[in-house]
Amino acid sequence: MPEARADNVLMQKVRDGDLAKMAVLFERHHRALFRYFLRLTGNREFSEDLVQDVYFRMLKYRHSYRDGSPFTSWMYQVARNAHLDGAQKHKNETPIDQEGVEEPAGADPDPSQILVRKQDLGLLRRALAALPVEKRELLVLSRFQNLKYEQIADILACDVGTVKVRVFRAIKALTQIFFELAGEKAS
Amino acid sequence: MNCDQVKEHIADYLAGTLDPAAAEELDEHFARCSACKQETAALSETWEMLGVLQQEQPSTSLRSRFYQSLEAYQQGLAAAAAPAPAKRRFFDWGWYGWAWSAALLVLGIGAGQWLGVRGRGQADLARLQDEVHNMRQMVTLSLLTQQSASERLRGVDYSFRVDQSDTQVLKALLHAVNYDPNVNVRLAAVDALRKFSSSPSVRGTLDQSLMKQESPMVQLALIDLIVDMRDKTAAPSLASLERSAATDKNVKEKAQWGLSQLQ
Repeated sequence: MPEARADNVLMQKVRDGDLAKMAVLFERHHRALFRYFLRLTGNREFSEDLVQDVYFRMLKYRHSYRDGSPFTSWMYQVARNAHLDGAQKHKNETPIDQEGVEEPAGADPDPSQILVRKQDLGLLRRALAALPVEKRELLVLSRFQNLKYEQIADILACDVGTVKVRVFRAIKALTQIFFELAGEKAS
Repeated sequence: MNCDQVKEHIADYLAGTLDPAAAEELDEHFARCSACKQETAALSETWEMLGVLQQEQPSTSLRSRFYQSLEAYQQGLAAAAAPAPAKRRFFDWGWYGWAWSAALLVLGIGAGQWLGVRGRGQADLARLQDEVHNMRQMVTLSLLTQQSASERLRGVDYSFRVDQSDTQVLKALLHAVNYDPNVNVRLAAVDALRKFSSSPSVRGTLDQSLMKQESPMVQLALIDLIVDMRDKTAAPSLASLERSAATDKNVKEKAQWGLSQLQ
């Protein structure tokens, strides 16, 4: 993966004193980090603060970055710590509030289908927000951040088999909550 | 493949990373187990729907905040590497900049009168230095007790101007390391403690700070400081941190490294 290798090289340069290279790493990853935090916390402002915090920590602890270690895994480890530290001060994290957010309608031409789909996506967002944070994090990393299970294992400091089992449990729990919410709505 | 083994392969099935042999076995299982087939279909549907959820964008201010911080960080490093700061940021430091001005003016008038009477002896200079030191100490201590985290950060920054024998400032920094609610202030305070590393009250208290910390970042910074100070009294705390199941993986590794350095 050339881009991943380029990230590692950039971070080595930052570590060795070329701090301006952090700007390239910011441009490449800040959106993904923001979405990671937003899915975990449901709070836009707090998520942006956490992104800031991650870059500050990566600057401050640049010396702990080791040659050749995957940058993305290291960055998410820093991000997890930032979230853990930050969450203690934001105990009352609000559920993800995205009422009225327009989902992309795709190519479906039937307006009634679009309506059904929008309702489903609304329910899915509620189900996701209701999922325990550890399970939500697994789905965010694997589905939204498109990380490989090996990378997630690296970030969570466990083996790949454990990650796969946890992903299975998380998607199963999400599906159950989704159907419960759909049932409530139908009754 | 039985139903339990199917569960182990679902994650790869969803991500499209299943190897061909396992995919074939899975298909065979689905052909004879409708329960697994239905469950997997439902999970796949949820997985697909997750892919359609909108990808939110951060506000534009995030980018400008980042570039401001990066610039400030670079300037801060350059300033730390440079000799004494002299008149840097004299007027743009808000209320305490003006407090400084007023205080120095009063001090200057007082010192002028005093010097006029007593001449320019060594004792006079020493007293003047004392006054300046007290002023710096006052500014540092008052900043460290501000409500706002950014003001407290400035307080930590200001502590670099205080003489290293100042026990009051040292106490305030140790207090910040142990109890400040803001992790950035705690990290900055750990850095500031380096200046006081020759003080006996720093040696022997860092291990307690280490055990109080919940933030892995602050723990990493403290271990660095302990190793740099060669503070062997902290070795038992490092060992217990390394053993504890609750310790972050990176901190464990760092504690192990720290112990090997102190030996």
